[in-house]
Amino acid sequence: MAGENDKFGAMAKQTLPSRSDVLLGGLALLTLPFLRFGPVRADDAAAVKEIAPGVFVHQGRYELQSEANQGDMSNAGFVVGRDAVAVIDTSGSAIMGRRLRAAIRQVTDKPIRYVINTHMHPDHVFGNAAFKEDDPTFVGHYKLARGLMSRSEQYLAASKAMMGAETVEGIEVIPPTLAVQDKTTIDLGGRTLILEAQPTAHTDNDLIVTDTATNTVFLGDLLFSVHVPTLDGSIRGWLELINQLKARNAARVVPGHGPHAMELPEAVAAEERYLSTVAKGVRALIEQGKTLEDATRTVGISERDDWKMFDQYHVRNVTAAFAELEWE
Amino acid sequence: MSANLFKEDGAMPGRTNTLKRGAFTAAALCLLIAGATVARADETWDSLKKQNFGDRAIQAEDGVVILDAPATAEDAAIVPLTIRVPPSVTQNLKSLYLIIDKNPGPVVAKVTFGPAAGTGGERKFSTRVRVDNFSHVRAVLETEDGTLHMASKFIAAAGGCAAMQPKDPDTENEGLGKLLVKTFPPALSTTPLFDAQVMIKHPNHNGMQLDVNTAKFIPARFVNGMTVKRDGELVFSMESSFSLSTNPNIRFSFGRGKDNALDVAVTDTDGTVFKAQTQPSGS
Repeated sequence: MAGENDKFGAMAKQTLPSRSDVLLGGLALLTLPFLRFGPVRADDAAAVKEIAPGVFVHQGRYELQSEANQGDMSNAGFVVGRDAVAVIDTSGSAIMGRRLRAAIRQVTDKPIRYVINTHMHPDHVFGNAAFKEDDPTFVGHYKLARGLMSRSEQYLAASKAMMGAETVEGIEVIPPTLAVQDKTTIDLGGRTLILEAQPTAHTDNDLIVTDTATNTVFLGDLLFSVHVPTLDGSIRGWLELINQLKARNAARVVPGHGPHAMELPEAVAAEERYLSTVAKGVRALIEQGKTLEDATRTVGISERDDWKMFDQYHVRNVTAAFAELEWE
Repeated sequence: MSANLFKEDGAMPGRTNTLKRGAFTAAALCLLIAGATVARADETWDSLKKQNFGDRAIQAEDGVVILDAPATAEDAAIVPLTIRVPPSVTQNLKSLYLIIDKNPGPVVAKVTFGPAAGTGGERKFSTRVRVDNFSHVRAVLETEDGTLHMASKFIAAAGGCAAMQPKDPDTENEGLGKLLVKTFPPALSTTPLFDAQVMIKHPNHNGMQLDVNTAKFIPARFVNGMTVKRDGELVFSMESSFSLSTNPNIRFSFGRGKDNALDVAVTDTDGTVFKAQTQPSGS
């Protein structure tokens, strides 16, 4: 039987808070009523940067969700038009959604008419509920609703386990009311956003959002920088899509995880190298008749120093790639 | 035989009536926090042990069987398990149970070995499983003398029950039933054991996946049996549950024969039979 330390060590690494986190979390819970008036107020505006006229981005942390970071672990943005505002991803909790909304309100009083989700992952959609009061159109890939609804219970349970009951309060799974089948545009007054549904890549419901006024392209998790890419769709599909992205004409792109803004084609170089390395390594081992375990031990280890969160996601990526590529 | 397997472990006595119950069980399990799971592990095993082995003694961690499993299931939908019997064990093997205490349908597979399973080296059996929760995973091996040996590992499942959801539901039925069988002849012609792999394209629906278009659970349809023969002699037969990962993958050793040609037959819960053979290889 595995020792207690092993068990908790393993849990801490992947999904669960470590023992010290639990203790700290417990303390935080006890002091919560006081903390509300302290420096980390839940409704403090999230830090945002204007990367182009009327285009703002909040940069998420390179971390797993936790009580301390309130699910602030992915980039979120908004675009201000003449008549209305569109939000692009809402971070990982209702608290973070409210902080993003507060940031919008510091910039403009215009109505928030659209909340767009680039894909189903909780760190991009769990702030949606903070915008319900604006009665916006929720927008997503036509497969987003299915992805979300079939995983909602698990996503909620995982968020609760990692962030604690207080932090997840107010989170709601809100599926899109406008489903993008192929390509749609929305008008914010004087500027339009083009929404393009993608074939299976990072997930099976990735959506690309382009602000035509500034030619800024929000790639969601189709683009990771600094934070290791996470594969929850198809490695072949993703690499194919990256090829298309390189040829794309964009003034700047916004990654789902990474800096506020980057430029093509350099922006996708590291991600492409990582995914190609994984695909190539996995294919070579399959060719040699090696196993999934062999692959998880050896493939892509050369990439380790180039990414944050490598230890949390790399083995999972190799596993998913192996299961996909062994059927080529 | 399959029906017996599921009656024994009590988790899936029938198809249609219990699908929903299964789903609720899975959801409830997901919501359990790890602490509670760990604390109740022994209790769960006690009752599983009784159901599957009655009052028979089981020798735990005596080195006759070794279980390789990751401490953390990075992808809980695809957790690789390898069961090894070291060369120092020379007896024939009778059967092998793979058990995941906390899964709905804890008995993942029951393998019965035949005369072509072989001896004379390290014998191996590997597959990939879904791990629904933080759970003990167990390999219980019965050797020819009737003794039960057990190896176990505790696995922290990272993905929880989201593991039960396919990454791309629109393509998961593509090529259903495609069966690939490969043999890996040893480098030396004197080595008495061969390696082989069986892969079958099958979604292995567990009845817990929601079809959001119809708001109903996708009916369970999974691989529940496999028979592998070498030159007409049984290597093993296996009864399995929906805890095998999508596109079930089995790697195993078998005893060197004359032609080393494998015949594989796989059945699923719809009663469909899939068959494949390999050409003679080495000798």
